[in-house]
Amino acid sequence: MTGTSDTVLKVEGLQVSYGSIPAISSLDFEIKRGEFVAILGPSGCGKSSMLNVISGLLPPTRGVVEVDSRPLYDAGRHAPKLGYVFQAHRLLPWRTVKQNLELVLAASDVPRDQWEDNIDRLLDILHIGQFKNSWPMQLSGGQRQRVSIARALLVEPSYILMDEPLSTLDEVTARSLRQELSGIWARTGATIVFVTHSIREAVYLADRIIILTRGPSTVFENYHVPIARPRAYDDPRIAEVEADIIRRVEHAWGLDPIKQSEVA
Amino acid sequence: MQKENNLIISICAVLMLLPIWWIAYRNTNFIADPFVVATALPHFLSQADTWSNIGITLYRVVLGLAGGVVLGTLAALAMNQNKLAEQVLSIYVTTALRTPSAIAAIMALAIFRGAEIGYIVVVMFITFPFMAVGLRDGLKSADKDLAEASQIYRLGSLRYIRHVLLPFIAPFIFSALRNAHALAWKVIVVAEIFGAARIGFGAQFDHAWEYMQMVEVHLWLLVFIAIVLFVEYGVLRVAERRVFRWRG
Repeated sequence: MTGTSDTVLKVEGLQVSYGSIPAISSLDFEIKRGEFVAILGPSGCGKSSMLNVISGLLPPTRGVVEVDSRPLYDAGRHAPKLGYVFQAHRLLPWRTVKQNLELVLAASDVPRDQWEDNIDRLLDILHIGQFKNSWPMQLSGGQRQRVSIARALLVEPSYILMDEPLSTLDEVTARSLRQELSGIWARTGATIVFVTHSIREAVYLADRIIILTRGPSTVFENYHVPIARPRAYDDPRIAEVEADIIRRVEHAWGLDPIKQSEVA
Repeated sequence: MQKENNLIISICAVLMLLPIWWIAYRNTNFIADPFVVATALPHFLSQADTWSNIGITLYRVVLGLAGGVVLGTLAALAMNQNKLAEQVLSIYVTTALRTPSAIAAIMALAIFRGAEIGYIVVVMFITFPFMAVGLRDGLKSADKDLAEASQIYRLGSLRYIRHVLLPFIAPFIFSALRNAHALAWKVIVVAEIFGAARIGFGAQFDHAWEYMQMVEVHLWLLVFIAIVLFVEYGVLRVAERRVFRWRG
């Protein structure tokens, strides 16, 4: 696999093992600049390990991870800037929304005179400008996740990792945030790697879905979503694509043994 | 409104002691008349000697406590970083935790032959294990999720310690500091009495007791209570409210 100039993330022959237990047997994929890619895999397939590796937290057992054509590991102070939206917001509860964002800007060496404008712009995009001076605990789950998205966008990262960021929210909030996320992506042109368990969510948001096999995982399929944007969550075409992916995924992941016995 | 209610409750709690004190005075030989003590208080507080005695004890407590905090912090950091250090230091910490204050005072004063440093070392020795255990527990429970987020956003070690770790372990620090402070006052009085100090709170208390100057004993006791309550409510709790204002 050869990365092109618009390749942001290149993963080649990635293996992750914990002692003698393999979590990822061999992963190869590329993410292009400005792409919205969803990663879909069964529980225990090594998604967390993969995220840890491509976020720079866990060195791979074997293989290459390159960001903007530079190795992610051993890059020292030239390490690329990444954004990460976690399942739980992971904001510092003792700092206001503004202070949380300022800390990340300070760490990214953004000149202080640009902080205010950058923060205001992003909070406005995410419709949470009025909560700038609030403590995280004064916000709802959806608002906290918006702040978390703002934090990820603020550092102008090479790519943003999102680890099931909507899974802890109620469906109404998740629905509105999904729509916003799609809009933010369109406005900012950010590169997003979005891990989810929801096939419909993946189809609604992503250009491409990387479907993993059961663990220790490999890439089962690179699925290009054949629906033009803007998309509506209740669009029947999304349901059709979802059904198509479910058929493929059932083949890739196999049936749950309990269900097989129930069928029998 | 809540603040005013709390103040009223605190004042009532103090005032409730007065009838108990009065009853105790009427029924024993060693408790002074509360009204006589109240009358003597302004004169007692106007004497320079009173304040110099309070000052020297305060100096010993502050230095000893500061030493205990530094020593306890270093021990906690070592115990958190290294298994062997934890095993070794745990023995010292456990021993220090369980050593009676009077024995610690006698030993330190014997070792330092009643020198000023002896009083400071006693306070340091008695308070450091509280800081060590409290901080070690805080460090061990440090939020790994926040540490990961800090790593991803490349906060660096200094920003992580200042903006993530310290605020996270602040409740542990305050709890340890509160225990250490309370114990520091108790042990310094014991040390000053056992060390036959010529100056200081314990020395004056001991002197008044020896000569059965019961009004003076009570005056020193009142001053002691006032100082301890002032540090607790006027310093520690105010600082705590400021540090934890985000809790609403």
